[in-house]
Amino acid sequence: MAMTAVARETVFALRRQIAKIEGTLLERLQAPAGAAPAGLPPDEDARDLTIVRRGLAVAPPDAFLRTGAEPLDAALGGGLPKAALSEIHGAETRDAGAVTGFALSLVSLILKRQQPRLPILWIGTSEIFREAGFPYARGLQTSFGIEPGELLFSEAPRLVDALWVAEEAARMTALSAVILEIRGSPQRLDLTATRRLHARAQAAGRPVFLLRQAGEAEPTAAPVRLIVSTAPSASRATIAGPLAGSIGRPAFTVGIGKSRTALPGQFTLEWNPDDHVFEQRRAGEAKDPVPVVPASRRRKDPAPASGAVLAFAAVGSPAAISPTARDQPSRPQRPAHIGPRRAG
Amino acid sequence: MISHRDRNAQRISALDERAEALHLKRGMGIADARAMHPSIDVVEADPQADRRLLEGLADWCDRYTPLVAIDGIDGLFLDVTGCTHLFGGERAMLDDILSRFFHQGFGVRAGLAATPGAAWAAARFSGDHIVRSGEEEALLSPLPLAALRIEPDIRASLESVGLRTAGAVMAAPRAPLARRFGATLLLRLDQALGRLDEAVSPRLPVAPLSVERHLAEPIMLTDDIERLVSLLATTLKADLERRGEGARRLALLLFRVDGAVSRIAVGTSRPLREPLLIQKLFHERLAALEQDIDAGYGFDLVRLCVLSAAAFDMQQADLSGETDDCDADIALFADRIRARLGDGAVLRPVTVESHLPERAVATVPFSEVPQRTSPPRKPVRNPPMTIYPPATIYPPERPIRLFRSPEPIEVPATEMPEGPPMNFRWRRALYRVARAEGPERIAPEWWRGQGGEDAPTRDYFRIEDSDGRRYWLYRQGLYGASQASPRWFMHGVFA
Repeated sequence: MAMTAVARETVFALRRQIAKIEGTLLERLQAPAGAAPAGLPPDEDARDLTIVRRGLAVAPPDAFLRTGAEPLDAALGGGLPKAALSEIHGAETRDAGAVTGFALSLVSLILKRQQPRLPILWIGTSEIFREAGFPYARGLQTSFGIEPGELLFSEAPRLVDALWVAEEAARMTALSAVILEIRGSPQRLDLTATRRLHARAQAAGRPVFLLRQAGEAEPTAAPVRLIVSTAPSASRATIAGPLAGSIGRPAFTVGIGKSRTALPGQFTLEWNPDDHVFEQRRAGEAKDPVPVVPASRRRKDPAPASGAVLAFAAVGSPAAISPTARDQPSRPQRPAHIGPRRAG
Repeated sequence: MISHRDRNAQRISALDERAEALHLKRGMGIADARAMHPSIDVVEADPQADRRLLEGLADWCDRYTPLVAIDGIDGLFLDVTGCTHLFGGERAMLDDILSRFFHQGFGVRAGLAATPGAAWAAARFSGDHIVRSGEEEALLSPLPLAALRIEPDIRASLESVGLRTAGAVMAAPRAPLARRFGATLLLRLDQALGRLDEAVSPRLPVAPLSVERHLAEPIMLTDDIERLVSLLATTLKADLERRGEGARRLALLLFRVDGAVSRIAVGTSRPLREPLLIQKLFHERLAALEQDIDAGYGFDLVRLCVLSAAAFDMQQADLSGETDDCDADIALFADRIRARLGDGAVLRPVTVESHLPERAVATVPFSEVPQRTSPPRKPVRNPPMTIYPPATIYPPERPIRLFRSPEPIEVPATEMPEGPPMNFRWRRALYRVARAEGPERIAPEWWRGQGGEDAPTRDYFRIEDSDGRRYWLYRQGLYGASQASPRWFMHGVFA
């Protein structure tokens, strides 16, 4: 390449500035395999390299909210944009549970990585709270780990008021996320209204989730529109295998309705209400084994393990979070200084 | 001429000068008056409207003093102690009151004295009179007994013994008067003469702090009002700083030229003294009230009052002058929303110790939540004895959305009387139950006394329908327990 590294840096910095001024969505491509310096794991090169497509610079990876489900993240080009308006649609009002659940799991993911945890504001018209039910703080606590103290609700009698509250809230940095819930396809929620919300969300660097219950896909300024519907949940997993007839973890079918990077697709995600992570459900694959040690909900210290205590495979790998029988190191790999295996 | 019904007869309650010129009097029967002058025009009295008008006038008189009280059906007391110098003395103030009322189209008589009783008598019997302190006796002596504010029957009995003026009563020995006519007479007399204190109880609580501005040129535009609010708030800030307080409730009073007064109040979640923030709050409130405030010919007096104040905690700023206080941002945001949309516009959930799902979480307006989030811990007496709940007890599964009132559903059949439904109809759509978990029995809170111990229990089921939607249903009551068959309700939605 003729360009020196310094010139390249300058060009990218300028491009990043232009993208910031224009307020366009930053896009990224998969890094070409040869570009990554040898010896670095693929995760790190994504952080260092700036990859350009169609003349736009790419934001650092923390501009995206990774859902944790790899295929969906890959399809969205890294995840949902964090400083933007995102639309989440449900086909009917009775799908409110799935739409709300998906949005709340995203909020839960945001809160998990935030220190200190800032409150979220949930704005809705009186109509939607009457038709789909009012958010129930106890349920949010058990399923998503959102404490009642972190919740603020705003119930507006009219759509105009709800939009006004949302616009005022979207420019606040003291909130971690804003959820605006609208039912149907009102005239007022047009391109201008969504553009105003999007611009404020970009300026504040906070996500605004627009939940459209029973709404049609209309022109919107939001870079991403997801269509969420329910999926039958898997059975509860027990040591003895799946428990027949039981209702397990919440599952959602997520379709990408609008995205500048992704192809349309359907993804079935499962929310783990204990660890607060998404898991991709793949058809035909056996259910992943039950973690031997359940995560404690009440206390910080994990419950004492029942069984052998083993060394983790590698620090930072998913196996370290949920040690399973499959991921445990085989006998020759086991460090010698651990000593003989303790009987359970 | 205005009539009112008194003991089954229409009587004259008020009349104008032309009617007086026809020798009609108050209290005269309408039939008699009609017999004398068939052409008179009679209007039915409306005491409520009179009261409203008087209250409006009392509001307007707030510009002279915060201590305004309503006296009977046709009078106002203004406690102007310490206020007269603001209007250039007693005479100037009285003239100002009279001329402003005259220009609004009211006929007013006023009296100013050191005691309420003397002022009352001066206003009603001598007219536009300023009674110097110590001259009360000279004022009252020639006046009739009615000037003493006593009951009509006491007055009649006094007159029957020949005491026809206040002076005559004053000259009479006190002991026989008290014995014969009761203590009220002497009480009124002493109050009028200043021997006993009489408190005028004001209609509105007096604001601890208020600043106002008289305007030579009335203002009409909302922008002008907002600018003025910011000026007044700047003045207010110095006062609040001196007291070490911040405002919790503020009121803006707009006095219209023609006598109407608009009162606009805002509340704050935490003590506030920054003029810019106060202006922002009033900006939202004025925007919300745009239609309701009629500027008319403009406002000539604008007053900003602090209705209640609280101690203001200073924030320690870092070297760059920034304070890192996210809660303050949220409090201001909530205040602005509340100023525009009402008190219930920003809600916050609070968990309540109750096992009933609908009572377990209360949503309260933002401002009512105490700032301290965790209660002070009780001292632990015997730490070894503390029993922790076992970590394996998980909180029960609860829906993420709860209907405000459970919606009745039609359940045609259940496999077992105690079991979940096989299908149900909710909002006119049929749902087939694919899987169900339950029941979780939740009994009513019998100690609350609603329905007693016989109130039906609820059996909750988690239901997944054939499309994968998850619901929370319950059956109220049991099959076979009573004559009426149990009813089913939809209470919540799961993720």
